Amino acid sequence: MTDTDTELLRIENVTRDYRQGDQTVHALRNVSFTAARGEFIAIAGPSGSGKTTLLNLCAGLDHPTEGTVRLAGRDLSTMSRQQLADMRLREVGFIFQAYNLIPVLSAEENAEFILLLQGVPFAERRRRVRALLHEVGLEGMESRRPGQLSGGQQQRVAVARAIAAEPRLVLADEPTANLDTDTALALLKIMDRLNREHHCTFIFSTHDPRVMNRAHRIVHMVDGRIESDERHDEAAP
Amino acid sequence: MTSLGLLCLMAQRNLWRNTHRTLLTTGTIALGLALLLISLGLGSGGDRQMLDGAVRLMGAHVAIEARGYDATRSLDRTISAADIPAMVSVLNGHGFGTPAVLPRLYASGLASSADGSSGVSIIGIDQDAEAPVSAIDDHIVAGSYLGTSATNSAVIGFGVARKLALSPGSKFVLMAQGPGSGDIQSVLLRVMGITRTDVDDLDQTAIFLPLATAQSLTGLEGRVHQAAIVLGDVEQSGPAADALRGRAMPDVDILTWQQLMPSQRDLIRVNVAGRVLVDVAFFLIIAFLVLNTLLMSVVERRREFALLDAVGVTPRRRFLLVLIEGAWVATFAVVAGAGLGFAGHLYFKHVGLPLRLLSSSAMSAAGAAIDPVLYSALAPSQLFGTAALVFLLTVVLALIPSWKAATDADAHLLR
Repeated sequence: MTDTDTELLRIENVTRDYRQGDQTVHALRNVSFTAARGEFIAIAGPSGSGKTTLLNLCAGLDHPTEGTVRLAGRDLSTMSRQQLADMRLREVGFIFQAYNLIPVLSAEENAEFILLLQGVPFAERRRRVRALLHEVGLEGMESRRPGQLSGGQQQRVAVARAIAAEPRLVLADEPTANLDTDTALALLKIMDRLNREHHCTFIFSTHDPRVMNRAHRIVHMVDGRIESDERHDEAAP
Repeated sequence: MTSLGLLCLMAQRNLWRNTHRTLLTTGTIALGLALLLISLGLGSGGDRQMLDGAVRLMGAHVAIEARGYDATRSLDRTISAADIPAMVSVLNGHGFGTPAVLPRLYASGLASSADGSSGVSIIGIDQDAEAPVSAIDDHIVAGSYLGTSATNSAVIGFGVARKLALSPGSKFVLMAQGPGSGDIQSVLLRVMGITRTDVDDLDQTAIFLPLATAQSLTGLEGRVHQAAIVLGDVEQSGPAADALRGRAMPDVDILTWQQLMPSQRDLIRVNVAGRVLVDVAFFLIIAFLVLNTLLMSVVERRREFALLDAVGVTPRRRFLLVLIEGAWVATFAVVAGAGLGFAGHLYFKHVGLPLRLLSSSAMSAAGAAIDPVLYSALAPSQLFGTAALVFLLTVVLALIPSWKAATDADAHLLR
């Protein structure tokens, strides 16, 4: 069994309902899904199809109404908020559509944020973050605050932050939605390369066909259900 | 940098992200603390001045009396004037400076002039010993204070002078009954001066005589009713009384100013209680203002806390982050407020607050004249205690928004 075949995430018969006033919104309906280590998966679908809810459940940011979510063999529903946050700190990287960098920290401080909370020593932290910022093309911008960076640059900092601690799973919610085509493709290339080099599992949501084509596996969602789950042997260059 | 260092750095930068809000919160606390310290200083200063005034108008910080005299005011309960130096010798060289020791004799009598008679309180004093500490001579409105060699002369209260139509140089007869035999003695006295203290008891009935004259009139030669001790600082009263009590002296009572001047003691207690109530109200107002601002800052940052939760910042660390922000605010505010308050205290300590701004007439309370200018007196324990209390209050208040930051992380706010 290779690394890629090792199961990292298992979602079984998950349903997630929300109350909105008097109405119940079925965000996810009996969804089952697994992801192996090193996969590069796109969750595709129109707005309101349940992509973000699925990603939030994968990270333990939300809890299913029914069903179970297991990450690295652990049932997330049995963990406390403290344990979940600690698990995310060590196992999960997050990339958001709106970048969501910490505004009071510089690019370098944002990128090393997770490492610092993990207690990685200064020299090791600095070496890894400098190398990563170089990898994502942000050399020379280490001391800039998020407000001094373009959208694409902020998202690259977010990518660096997400993978700096070499998590097993990186979740990205519409990471290219706010970026122009060139920047989006450049970012995807970076994510793809990092996926190959660092062997971490990438799961990202998108409804952009250009982005979907970079994925090795595309999970299509409609109305809270998985409609199809396709593997691509060769992703678009 | 450790994770705690990171939280401290983030907390500090978070505060300066919204400079206006931070300055407003810090300013509110600082101003509140400063006003609190100034009010505390003026309140304590007022109490101290009132007490000092009472001590200087025939009061004392500590007194030695014959056993039971304070309760009975019995004329025959006396101590020997010759024994007083030995009794108070324990105070010398024990950090009490050079206390003034004032032998006093008290009696009741009847003063008569060509224009009538009036019941009076006779106070026999050692005029030379009293002069440096007594305020009686400061309140002479006609004539002069008792001279060193004065014998058959007296300083009388303004009310006595009016009732008996006396003026400096006039003569009057003073009669008093001695203890034991009940014989009534009289003496012809010349009015040396008239005093007006604005304290009714003294103005309406007091007649101050040289101690020897009073002793002769009452048949108590060599005896006094009280050895009044005036110290450099009222705070020394307790230790001085303890030192005197530690010395075995039979048949005497050692009384502190609280026992000698119960009306002043009670007034100060009422003042302190009033100040505590005002301070608590003040604290509550500041507390609600600060809590509102801190809570608003957390509510506005719900998305940020959701993000921190998403990237793995545990509830405990989010709690700590906001608590550190509260501690920063408390530190800035307390340093600024204590500085401002102390500056205000120094101003009022040296320049004073003229009470004429509030009332044009002379004031007295509990038998003591109130100084027309109020001077601040702020003890280090009051300054540091209040500052510490405000710091603690702010940090305790920050627990509420900290708890909110730790528990309120809604992933739906993140896209």
